Amino acid sequence: MGNQVGFTLWFTGMSGAGKTTVARLVEKELRNRGLKVEVLDGDIVRTNLSKGLGFSKEDRDTNIRRIGFVCDLLSRNEVIAIGAAISPYRAIRDEIRAKTGKFVEVYCQCELDTLIERDVKGLYKKALSGEIKNFTGISDPYEAPLNAEVTIFSDGESPETSVARVIAKLEEMGYVPAGDEDDDYSDEEKGMVEDRLRALGYM
Amino acid sequence: MALFGKRKAKPKKRRIVFLGIDGTPHSLVTRLVAEGVCPNLASVLKEGTYAPMYSVYPTVSSVAWSCMMTGVNPARHSIYGFVDRKPGTYKLYIPTSKHMTSETLWEYLSRMGKRVVVMNVPVTYPPREVNGILVAGFLAPNVDKAVYPTEMAARLKTLGYRIDTDPWIARKSKDDFLVDFRETLAGRGRTLLEFMDREQWDYLHCHIMETDRLHHFLWEPMERHDPVYEPAFYDCYRQIDGLVGEVRRRLDEDTTLIVMSDHGFCTLRQEVYINNWLRDAGYLSFSSGEPKSVADLAPESRAYSLDPGRVFINLRGREPEGTVAPGDEYEQLRDELAAGLMDLRDPESGDPMIEKVVRREEIYHGPHFERAADLVAVPLRGFDLKGAVNRPALTFKGDELVGMHTYDDAMLYVQGARFTRTGFSVVDVMPTILDIMELPKPEGLDGVSTV
Repeated sequence: MGNQVGFTLWFTGMSGAGKTTVARLVEKELRNRGLKVEVLDGDIVRTNLSKGLGFSKEDRDTNIRRIGFVCDLLSRNEVIAIGAAISPYRAIRDEIRAKTGKFVEVYCQCELDTLIERDVKGLYKKALSGEIKNFTGISDPYEAPLNAEVTIFSDGESPETSVARVIAKLEEMGYVPAGDEDDDYSDEEKGMVEDRLRALGYM
Repeated sequence: MALFGKRKAKPKKRRIVFLGIDGTPHSLVTRLVAEGVCPNLASVLKEGTYAPMYSVYPTVSSVAWSCMMTGVNPARHSIYGFVDRKPGTYKLYIPTSKHMTSETLWEYLSRMGKRVVVMNVPVTYPPREVNGILVAGFLAPNVDKAVYPTEMAARLKTLGYRIDTDPWIARKSKDDFLVDFRETLAGRGRTLLEFMDREQWDYLHCHIMETDRLHHFLWEPMERHDPVYEPAFYDCYRQIDGLVGEVRRRLDEDTTLIVMSDHGFCTLRQEVYINNWLRDAGYLSFSSGEPKSVADLAPESRAYSLDPGRVFINLRGREPEGTVAPGDEYEQLRDELAAGLMDLRDPESGDPMIEKVVRREEIYHGPHFERAADLVAVPLRGFDLKGAVNRPALTFKGDELVGMHTYDDAMLYVQGARFTRTGFSVVDVMPTILDIMELPKPEGLDGVSTV
């Protein structure tokens, strides 16, 4: 895989909206296609790269800038860098977009009511009771993207669908080669097979 | 039941020879046997039970045989038609064995230490590994690429094996097709008998696709007693009966013969282009004057159809340019489309064309449910629902494709057994086979044994 295109695939959205789930599935799909991928997951980055940072606006910005910095390094070296972090502030996301060039933003949208109801990590309960301060969506703002390349709806579609839509977008943008859905046939064979289906009235 | 007693006394496990006759209706078999066209089949049928069986929605061979070979519904095995749309796009692709997400009967048998020989089943290309031999069927591009293990290809060529008849020949000339039928079936028969005699197997499966082609191109002349093509049609079945005789002669008492067809057939009255109706009713428009596929639909479109009778809503969040909101708007549109489809009338006769419209949650359940069409229209006999986008009118009747599939009137025959119920479908065949082979069933099958 000598000449793969490096780019940054950035998942943003509130806690529990499916960023990590979909990012990991996209990672798997891209690896299956023989592409080099790294994932920078917000929860994990905070235990190493950004250890010690808190959740004030300043610390959040620093955290996102660090993830963006590493993504940029990776994508310059033909690696697909996947960032998955709440990244609530539009200005910082746009700053990273401007810096990295090849930047694909995926907005993981989910109704707040659904997130509170789901509360997989039990964080919303703590935020609502005041146990956690500066919690995005409850006591801190989330600024939704205005021009995300892909918007996925974790309360309205399966992760499989979300992944397919992200991959389709990347293929459309020419960042990843078309998938193996058609690879079972060479172009010539595909023409032959379609011709056969046409003869039988199936196309 | 005596047979079961006898079997218990024998330490040897049962083997199976499975003959798939694509699209041969139960009612046709009954008639062929009664009229003396198929004496060998008649003898075979006396040795067990045969009954009508239901197919699957939508009723096409790729979906029906996928259900047969996996024992699960399409939302588990992922095969919903001969073409499907790539998730997240309007682009079409041709589903193959790579897209099948379930273990097949022969893969399961391989895992259980059985040796299998499987020939010509649809949606087995590219060939997946088995303990034995697999020759992929319809939509394999050539013999060399169709075979597992690959060394087997040379042997098949020596036997004059062909993957399929050529439907373009059939469109041009029925007479040439009949020659093609004879030669293709002969090569398949030779190969089957050679495998039967010289290979070791516990499960031997031969699929005859030729019958489906025969019906597509000659069903109508057969039904209206055409002086040339009715006898020619029966001659084709005489050839099949000859092969059944050869197979029967080779069966020993440890082997059970199963014969199955995957759907019925009837005369085609009209091809019905659902996308034309959607366009005329204002649900669908195209960005190009001469659209090639649904990939050319205009962003404001609300619904589109793929062959046969599958209707997809242009749903926001699922389709790249979805216009219909999930929830109430989606449900209202589904109701509206279902009602509109039910109202469709044949422009020539004024007859209704749709029997019913099923919602996907009524017929599919499983991890790949989201890939399913939102509605599946089920036609009345004679009305073949098509997915083409570039047709000039709602209906068309040509003189080439003159037969079409039916959901009912498929058939199942099992030698030496008695069915415990009626009304079963293709998904119930795999568990039936496992019962006969006295093997445990894998978890998660949708089908239930019929014996």
